[in-house]
Order: sequence, then C-alpha cells, then structure tokens
Amino acid sequence: MKFVAKKPREGINVSDVHPLVEAGTLVVGLTLIFVFIALLLIFLIEIALYFVSDETEAELFADWLPEDLVAVSPADDRLYETQLLLDRLSSHWIDTPYTFRLEIDDSEVANAMALPGGLVVVTEGLLDKVESENELAFVLGHELGHFRNRDHIRALGRGIVLSLFFAVVTGNDVAGLGIKATDVTLRGFSRKQESAADEFGLSLVHAEYGHVNEAWRLFERWDSEQDSSPGIVTYLSTHPQAGNRVEDLKLLADREGWQVQGDVRALQW
Amino acid sequence: MEDFLQTLEIFFNFGLPLLILMVAYFVGSTIEKRHFKNICEREDDLHGFPVVSFDTMPEDWNVSSCNMVTGSIVISLDYFKRVIAGLRGLIGGRIKTYEPLLERARREALLRMTESAREQGYDAVFNVRLETSRLANARRDGKGTAGVEMLAFGTAVKFASRFG
Ligand SMILES: [Zn+2]
Repeated sequence: MKFVAKKPREGINVSDVHPLVEAGTLVVGLTLIFVFIALLLIFLIEIALYFVSDETEAELFADWLPEDLVAVSPADDRLYETQLLLDRLSSHWIDTPYTFRLEIDDSEVANAMALPGGLVVVTEGLLDKVESENELAFVLGHELGHFRNRDHIRALGRGIVLSLFFAVVTGNDVAGLGIKATDVTLRGFSRKQESAADEFGLSLVHAEYGHVNEAWRLFERWDSEQDSSPGIVTYLSTHPQAGNRVEDLKLLADREGWQVQGDVRALQW
Repeated sequence: MEDFLQTLEIFFNFGLPLLILMVAYFVGSTIEKRHFKNICEREDDLHGFPVVSFDTMPEDWNVSSCNMVTGSIVISLDYFKRVIAGLRGLIGGRIKTYEPLLERARREALLRMTESAREQGYDAVFNVRLETSRLANARRDGKGTAGVEMLAFGTAVKFASRFG
C-alpha cells in the first residue's frame, strides 16, 4: 500500500455561515416567536378570566402558597394583628367571594402583593416602614382593590409569561417552574389598575375608621424623604404611581366628602 | 440625579451584557482566525507525515520501535458563542458557532500528537483515535467554565527500513 499525503479542503466541518448572520437570524426569529406566544397567553388569560369566576378561583387556590414565600413564625404577633386588620377591612366588601389570608414574607424590601385565592402577602420591610395602623390599612385596602378588579390574576399570567421567557433564555428547566410570588411582582400593575385599587382601598379605610386620616402618610413620607432605599423602589415597581398618588387621594377624599381628620390607631405590636 | 441612576440601571441591565457580547465576539473571532491560520501553517509543515487510523499493521512491515503518542488541548468557548448556542438550543438545529471551535480542537490535538511523534523521531502514527471529555457546564452564576478536552492518541512507529 502506498501512502499518499493529501490535504482535505478547508472548512469541511464548519458551516459556511457568518456567526453574526446566525446570531441575527436567531435573535429576530425568536423575538417574533416570543412576542406571538406572549400575546397569545395574555389573550388566553383574558379568556380564562371571563370564564373562570372569582368564586372558582377562590376555591381553586384556597390553600395555595407561593413557592418562594419565606413566612415568619405563625406565632408572630404582627401576623395575627395584620390578619385581623385585613379581616376588618374586607368585612366592608360585602359580596366578596374570597376568604382573605395574610402572610408575612421575611424580606427587607417593602412590598405588598395580591395573590390568587385571596392571599395577601406583605413583607417585613413594609411592616418596618409603616408607623400607624391606618397607614397599613390603606396598603392592605389597596391590595383588596386589586382583588376586586382581578388585577392579581392578570399580573400572575403576565408574570408567568415573563418568567417562562427568562427560564428559556437562561436555559433553566421550564418544566420545573412553579408559581412564585416574584413572578407576580416581576411585572407590576398598570397605572390605571393602581388608581382603581387606590380608590377602592381608600373607600375601605373610610368604611372602617370613618375617616381617612394618615391613610396616605406612608406615601407622603416616601415622597418627602426622596427616599430611594430599595423598599420604596420595589413597592413602586410593582405598584407604580399614577401621577401624584397623594394628591389624587386627597382629591378623592374631598370629592367623596370623607373626613380627613380623626383618631389614628397605633400599631398593635 | 435620579435620571442618572436610571440611566445607570438601564446600562447595567442591557448595555453591559451587550458590550460584553460585542467584546467577546471581536476578541473571540480574532483568536479563532489566528488559530486557524496557525493550524494551517503547521499542517502544511507536517504534510506527508503519515497519520492513519488502521489498528493492525501488515505483517511484512518492519517496525523497529513503537510508542504511544498523545496530543491534547483544552478549549473554551467565548460568551458570544455560548449565547448564540443557547438561543439555538431553543429551536434545535446545527450549533454553527460550535463547529469551528471543535474543528480547532480536533486539528490542534492531532497536530500536537503528530509533532510529538516527529520530534521523537518516529516515521508514522497508526491507530489514531480521538476522545472528547466535557470539563464543566457553563453556569450563569460565573462558577464553572465551559470547556472541552480533545485528546488525540495513537501508536507512533519507527520503521527499520523505509519501505516503498
Ligand atoms: Zn397596586
């Protein structure tokens, strides 16, 4: 046998596609696919909202807790008192299908969330920021407002879409995804949803106390402090301000003829 | 001030990864081009040195000595390649950005093996095999580095008398 040395043609094992062309094709193509899927899912959520009543939702998620919740000890005084306050507020929403549950998340950033099945989660960071029961009552009332308008389901749907997207992009296991509270907060509510929740929340506060004194003091403090600590940033990123929140609330109280003076209850812990 | 912070945040969220991606692309493709050039030159230099994959040798071939020779290379992919491959992984198909990488690894490993054989005064390499092993997964948290080892090995032989 004779050995004949021969060089193969260059580039046999390498596709003749410029890497930038490959990158461009993939990015554009996948973006289109994702936009399509996202729109489809949002549309499906709206359809689901139309067919699944809030009673069914309350039943389905009656015992549900988000996976990433780090709950405080059940013996915590704040848990008991805040649940009590939530019950008092929701008692003014006569025909509510939900049995509201409250959990405190062990997180330093101030935030409050409305989650499926009538679950309200407030963070320890928020409880550290509020200085009176009335301030806390308005924050809780605002979350109840999200339930009434069913914003929480929409946010959940959008959150799932987004976390699905991130999971795919980062290469995580899509099948292993559970519903997390961070999904919901990932994408906050629209300004219109916020205003509506504010209005309902304030009406609950008024119904409970007979006045709305200090209801918006927390936001007033945040405005005046020009505080940019992570707490407020998180709260605002999930509950964006529609213009000037405090001004709007004052106008609302004025329009409805609600008392702005009255006894303020101290926090019960 | 707030605007500045916001701009900064946008930059860190979107600008920085994009910048890293661009830098990775330019640096990565420059290195790749130079490596291919280097490989071609060395292949030309070794042209005519028999490197074959037979596992048995004809009986009448008179071999005076033999030894195993190996050549290995550990190669990692750049961020750009990894991102594009990740996108490709969503829909499947040829991971075109990996092909040149593995091609470089194969040829470099073979070259190192052949060069080693020639240096030691052997005449040819028989029974050449290629092995790949994955070193680690690329993880997004920065721990672990993606890389493959390509190992080429074979039996270098010295003929008692040149045949032909
Ligand atoms: Zn809100």
